[in-house]
Amino acid sequence: MKQGGLQNYIIRRLFYAFLIAFGVVTVTFILLRVGPSSPADKYLANISSRTQDPAKVIEAVEARYGLDRPLYQQYFNYLVSLARGDWGWSFSTSLPVIELIKRHWIYSFQLILLSMLFASSLGILIGIYSAVKQYTKTDYAATFFSFIGISIPNFWLGIMLILVFSVQLGWFKTYYDTGLPLFSLANLKALILPVITLGTGMMAGYTRYSRSATLDNLRKDFVKTARAKGLPEYIVIGKHVFRNAILPIITIIMFDLAGVVFGGAYLTEIIFGIPGLGRISFNAIFANDYPVVITITLIGAMVVLLTNLATDIVYTWLDPRIRYD
Amino acid sequence: MRRITEVFGGRRNLLFSGLLLALLFILLLDLFFVHHIFSPFVYFYLCFALVIVFYGIYPLYVSRRLTRYYWDRTKRHHLAVIGLVFIIFLVAVAIFGPFLTQDPTKVDFPNKNLPPVGFSAEQSTYDRTTGQFITRETPGTWLHPLGTDDKGRDMLAMLVSGTRISLQVGLMATLIAIFIGLIMGVVSAYLGGWADNALMRFTDIMMTFPFFLLLVFIVFIFGPSLWFIILAIGLTGWTGTARLVRSESLSLRTRDFIMASKSLGASDRRIVFHHLIPNVLSSVIVIATLSIPGVILAEAALSFIGLGDPTVTSWGLVLQAGQRSLETAWWIAVEPGIMLFLTVLAFNFLGDGVRDAFDPRSQV
Repeated sequence: MKQGGLQNYIIRRLFYAFLIAFGVVTVTFILLRVGPSSPADKYLANISSRTQDPAKVIEAVEARYGLDRPLYQQYFNYLVSLARGDWGWSFSTSLPVIELIKRHWIYSFQLILLSMLFASSLGILIGIYSAVKQYTKTDYAATFFSFIGISIPNFWLGIMLILVFSVQLGWFKTYYDTGLPLFSLANLKALILPVITLGTGMMAGYTRYSRSATLDNLRKDFVKTARAKGLPEYIVIGKHVFRNAILPIITIIMFDLAGVVFGGAYLTEIIFGIPGLGRISFNAIFANDYPVVITITLIGAMVVLLTNLATDIVYTWLDPRIRYD
Repeated sequence: MRRITEVFGGRRNLLFSGLLLALLFILLLDLFFVHHIFSPFVYFYLCFALVIVFYGIYPLYVSRRLTRYYWDRTKRHHLAVIGLVFIIFLVAVAIFGPFLTQDPTKVDFPNKNLPPVGFSAEQSTYDRTTGQFITRETPGTWLHPLGTDDKGRDMLAMLVSGTRISLQVGLMATLIAIFIGLIMGVVSAYLGGWADNALMRFTDIMMTFPFFLLLVFIVFIFGPSLWFIILAIGLTGWTGTARLVRSESLSLRTRDFIMASKSLGASDRRIVFHHLIPNVLSSVIVIATLSIPGVILAEAALSFIGLGDPTVTSWGLVLQAGQRSLETAWWIAVEPGIMLFLTVLAFNFLGDGVRDAFDPRSQV
């Protein structure tokens, strides 16, 4: 493949990602304006108890946030302020939203990162093992448990883990202790139950996918060749099968971010009281603190967008067979 | 026999439209003259039932041989059959259950936190005569076979009511999502060009939003009512179907039988309705079955975090109450979760079987 082709491909992908980001922002803007209660109402819900004349407050709020201007101007202002990093003011916490995000993102990040590590490493290993031992008891057990893992609602699993390990056995605290330093063993211990809660469903999914991807590759001719050459089995599996099977699995892991991981992390944070982005969005919803809710929705979409972009680009390096023209 | 089906078959669309119009007429009558004979849900169900009878049961009956073939293939999966039986049981519970159980909203504080039959739990109660709290062992009673929650509501009744809600949401939202996805996919594959481009870029934008975050965002803006939640899930969950239908339709378009039909002078409408849609339907059925559990879970998660419809007793709502009283009454959290788990498992089993029956090529 020509080097220029790859560069063009990456530039095209970047441009495309930019377009999608634009679309995402537009969709949130439209949803906000279509909704039955205007942003001014939500502001009002927070301050009306302290003031006398609601009509005047609405006017003031609309003027303050530019809501009395024509819609296209509002849209333009929305885009500009988002681009400038001015994401609004969170009244329930009396902080700029960006400051709130800065303080809390690390909790979500550590939870998601650890869960994905746990799920992908264990899931891929079990999947490959059960494919190699196809039609044995181990294989059936793995398939059965992955089915259960996929079907178990993760928020219920979290509650059951709390019930058994925290309430009955008393091994863990029922709530995540926010006072712990981030990089410490105690913090790692506190994250065990949340990581299992979030990771089990993903792990079960990866087990199934890597099992079937491995099975597909085990039947290929190059595996027969490798075996015929007399290579030891661990090299046949570890080098020839694994490297081909891992590609679709990486796509699925990245794709999971959009559907599974964020939703799961949101619920896990709520159940265990981890002060991550899901938890603050949850608090913001009940405080009618809408700049926080929008920002976190947008952040979720942007993370998905960037990981998709990264996956596409990393693919060019992982799989030299793909052509980009 | 054959003659009847032929006569009926020719007029099927006509008859269907007629009945649908009649239903609409009754609905209008209901709305403007006689107020609320039935709740709006009833009309939706009747409409749903009409669609099922005319475009589900009737074609299955006409092509009995094909039906038997698919059934035989599904039957080979024992788990799929178990799943199907459980789903039929759930549907029966959802339809008839609420008439047989107590009122799920009836609060009864003296009987709060009663354990299920066969279990007993320590409970501290306030004694009026001595003015002290006394702790004693309370056994479960047959009056509340699955126990009661922290407000004394009957768990069995709440679970039965939750079954109805979950199935409603699961079926209706999936139906809406599939419908939108089917139209989007077929239109974009058939029109091609800039329309295809625009629709698919829009699909990409919708896919970029994390599903649950978008759902939470929409419910936050529009407010939590059951109807709205169903609509929101339906309006956000169509992206996968749209992509699948588009790619299937694109490959179908180049097949010989569609070329032949086109060269014989068939109109676009005829090709879409007689060739494209029937041929993508098998994949659509598979993806529908497999997406129902996700929808049910999404609704349960929404009501679990308190964004569900507060006026209906759904499993998520009970689970939320269960987490509050985890240390005093474990069964409140355990029971709705088991129902949720079994329901999702049943749909997953059935979906797997159906996929193998309809679409033997796809693995995983």
